[in-house]
Amino acid sequence: MPDKKVTIHATRYDPDKDEKPRLQAYEVPFYDESMVVLDALNWIKSNADGSLSYRWSCRMGICGSCGMMVNGTPKLTCNAFVRDYYPRPILVEPLNNFPVIRDLVIDMDDFMHKLKAIQPWIIRKQEMPLGAGEHRQTNEQIDDFRQFSQCINCMLCYAACPVYGLNDEFLGPAATALARRYNLDSRDQGLKQRLPVLADPEGVWECSFVGECSVVCPKGVDPAKAIQQTKLDTTMRFVLPYGNRE
Amino acid sequence: MSTEAKAALREFRWHMPANWWTRNRHYFLYVVREFTALPLALWLLWLLVEIKRAGDGPTRYAPHESTAFVVFSVIVLLFALYHSYTFLSLTGVIIRLKVFDRPVPPRLITLAMFGAWAGASVVIGFVLIWFAR
Repeated sequence: MPDKKVTIHATRYDPDKDEKPRLQAYEVPFYDESMVVLDALNWIKSNADGSLSYRWSCRMGICGSCGMMVNGTPKLTCNAFVRDYYPRPILVEPLNNFPVIRDLVIDMDDFMHKLKAIQPWIIRKQEMPLGAGEHRQTNEQIDDFRQFSQCINCMLCYAACPVYGLNDEFLGPAATALARRYNLDSRDQGLKQRLPVLADPEGVWECSFVGECSVVCPKGVDPAKAIQQTKLDTTMRFVLPYGNRE
Repeated sequence: MSTEAKAALREFRWHMPANWWTRNRHYFLYVVREFTALPLALWLLWLLVEIKRAGDGPTRYAPHESTAFVVFSVIVLLFALYHSYTFLSLTGVIIRLKVFDRPVPPRLITLAMFGAWAGASVVIGFVLIWFAR
């Protein structure tokens, strides 16, 4: 067993017993320089307290399940190295701005509804039969939306967004970035279906450009850019005489 | 009450603390940026009053000349320059422009915006000096 230990302060909340969340401290062996905060939580679950609840899956920054507040900043815990915090204690809390179901598990229903509302799939006015062949794209056409397609729906951007924290009716960063991804896709024809959601008062216009959503994104997506570009596009459609063209 | 509704009641509802903007440097700078719009709006309201007075004739026109107002105006000018700088710096990110099917580099768009800003400032300055003569 290694001598080095790190203190993890994890949020505990049992809806059947607790009025509000509380913190519990655990001493965890810091056994490897490549150890991440998720490893520390897994050690607690296996060795100290099997009742600790949290979400995780892939352990490689792809699934977006293990997002939590680490020392006050939204992080994927599989991507937050313990060595970056050691020897200071690490505070692990559920993502800000979401209701807490238990311990580190948040209720993500609101985000799922918003995601569905922007219809994040390719919409065609008329579906072509499979036999008609594929929809081809050039590299330049893919470059138009590539970065927005990297979103893994981890919701770190929502936890970082004070606008969403103050008004949970706001459509939010990731949903807008994904709407932008499909609106910029040369194969998609669903802009008119998405516009009512995007141009709604609680859509892109609610954003006052704090920019923290883009700072915390673990995949380098720039949701703030997607929101501001959408504002410009919707304005142009309103102002220009040919703005409502298909 | 449905099982789902009962479960929802047991969730802990997270609320934004009043001091949220002190918890992160970016949040603090954001609030400062937003706050600078307030003195700017007050100065512009005062400008409207001055214009109204000027419209009533030379005898009614008495511009504010106190040192405090000059200092306030200089501070407001700095705020306005800060807003203009932050706004124009972002134009390269926000504006998507293609020429002959090739995207215009964001840096070029930003430089063009700053150039247009400088050009417009020179023209407005020239017009104001022209009328003041």
